[in-house]
Amino acid sequence: MLADRPPFEDLYRDFLGRIYAYVRAQVATSADAEDITAQVFMNAYQAYGRFEARNTTPAAWLFRIARNATLDHFRAHGRREKLRRTIEHQPMSAEDPSNMAEERIQYRALLAHVARLPERQRDAISLRHSGLSFEEVGVLMSCTEDAAKMLYHRALKAVRQSVEDEMA
Amino acid sequence: MSDNDDLELQALQRQLDDAFQTTRPRAAFEDELWSKMQAGRPLWTRIQDVITGLIDSIREAPAVPAAAAAVVLIVAIGIGIVSQTGLHFGGGASTTSSQAGGAQYNASAPGAFGRLPAPALQPVPVEDAGGPKAAAPAQQSGTNLYLGPARLQWVGQLSVDANSAPVFRFEEPTSQDADRFATAMRASPAGKTQGTLGQYTGDGFVLAVSGSTRQPLAEPTFSLTPDRSRLPAPGPTDTDTATTFLTTHSAVPAWPNVVAVEQIADVTRVSYLRQFSVPGYGFAYLVNQWGVRYGLAVDLRGGQPLQATGPLPVNLATANYSIISPDQAVRNALGSSPSAPASAPTIRLNSAELVYALAYAGDHSFYEPAFLFSGTFTQNGTTFVKRVLVPAVGPQ
Repeated sequence: MLADRPPFEDLYRDFLGRIYAYVRAQVATSADAEDITAQVFMNAYQAYGRFEARNTTPAAWLFRIARNATLDHFRAHGRREKLRRTIEHQPMSAEDPSNMAEERIQYRALLAHVARLPERQRDAISLRHSGLSFEEVGVLMSCTEDAAKMLYHRALKAVRQSVEDEMA
Repeated sequence: MSDNDDLELQALQRQLDDAFQTTRPRAAFEDELWSKMQAGRPLWTRIQDVITGLIDSIREAPAVPAAAAAVVLIVAIGIGIVSQTGLHFGGGASTTSSQAGGAQYNASAPGAFGRLPAPALQPVPVEDAGGPKAAAPAQQSGTNLYLGPARLQWVGQLSVDANSAPVFRFEEPTSQDADRFATAMRASPAGKTQGTLGQYTGDGFVLAVSGSTRQPLAEPTFSLTPDRSRLPAPGPTDTDTATTFLTTHSAVPAWPNVVAVEQIADVTRVSYLRQFSVPGYGFAYLVNQWGVRYGLAVDLRGGQPLQATGPLPVNLATANYSIISPDQAVRNALGSSPSAPASAPTIRLNSAELVYALAYAGDHSFYEPAFLFSGTFTQNGTTFVKRVLVPAVGPQ
């Protein structure tokens, strides 16, 4: 194990919840979020031997894998899921009560507003509130740090507008 | 951008932070996935890990005779291979064992726990977000706690000189931890029911130990129920009786506390309200998800103990964090309800104090400093209490 590379167990422990939350904010059910999160860590586990800490942070590396896995999910299920969201206006579908108990129900509505944002805005909010710096968000989204900040602030205002529209 | 706009967006950012930090998979997912990942690894890499881990541990203990180490190595390789096929995360003879003891951070360094989940009061249920809502949980002792949106005003005084405060972290206890606690109380295992870490019986009492729960938010707890036919005569006061009961069972709180006594129907509750010492401030009460002080409670009926319930003793690691100024806390409190409709009541918050609140984070939890604001208002002849909890830890 290289000295500058933390044990994978540490990454797993530190990032499992954050990766899950990032994915959960974008997909319809906690079952989908678990499947994608599992895929993320399976992929990361296999690829960890090639991870070089001097090139990127563990967070940026893991979130890149998570972002790709989520995009793959949308490519496979996206059209159907997008249609359902549009029709139901409810990105997080009703679930088994035991699953709902696992999540803080009070924030579901807020994350639903995030889930309805355009893809890049949704990504900017999700990555930023998963604890990434704007620099890391920019790298992941192939834009500058300043562009990431602007995108994030536009997204934040869009969430606020969405909340206000719903209340009105 | 106007100041109001700014405050609204800041409040929204805090809500999003909370939403992301509290969205977590179900409790068993972490172990299940880890086991699946381990099971998917080639056998030789698992053996390699076990050997590496053992060699490391032997290096750390040079006094171990070589022959003994060799025997341990052979035995442990066998155990390691078996245990890793159904590994519980952090357990088994793997390379993770050196990190599993909770010592992977420097607890004395400021901010050593990294980014913290924000403590919060009981949230507004989604279906009620648009209208007034009162909750009357049992913990409120008759108080009508108002949870709905409100237009807030601050008319009180808040003075806190401290600019940093300790944050406490503990790992979720295991069944083995519960067993050790029970043993210290001279109780023996008596089975285990769903939702508990263990149930035990001792000489004239029953003990149950439970892990943390998210809803209602609670740390690991124990409850001690005596055989009431075998209790000694009551003490001169209810507090004396409760303290004697706790002393008999080695359950007197080791943390700072203030004793409060209240009557709930025919039950007298003696509460040892937990406090945390904050340098430069004094003692701050621990509050639950409704903003109510709590700790260890002994219920008495007819002057005799019915049950004692309180937090399971856990090892607390400590790290200092910068805290926001009182002025900033007030701004955050007033900005905490940015989307209140015009019909929402106007509430004058008139008191505030530094408190501690539990923040759950899966396999570990924190006690974190926060500012608790309170005010009352009357609607349709009923008086409601509004509380706002503002995380005290500054931007991380």
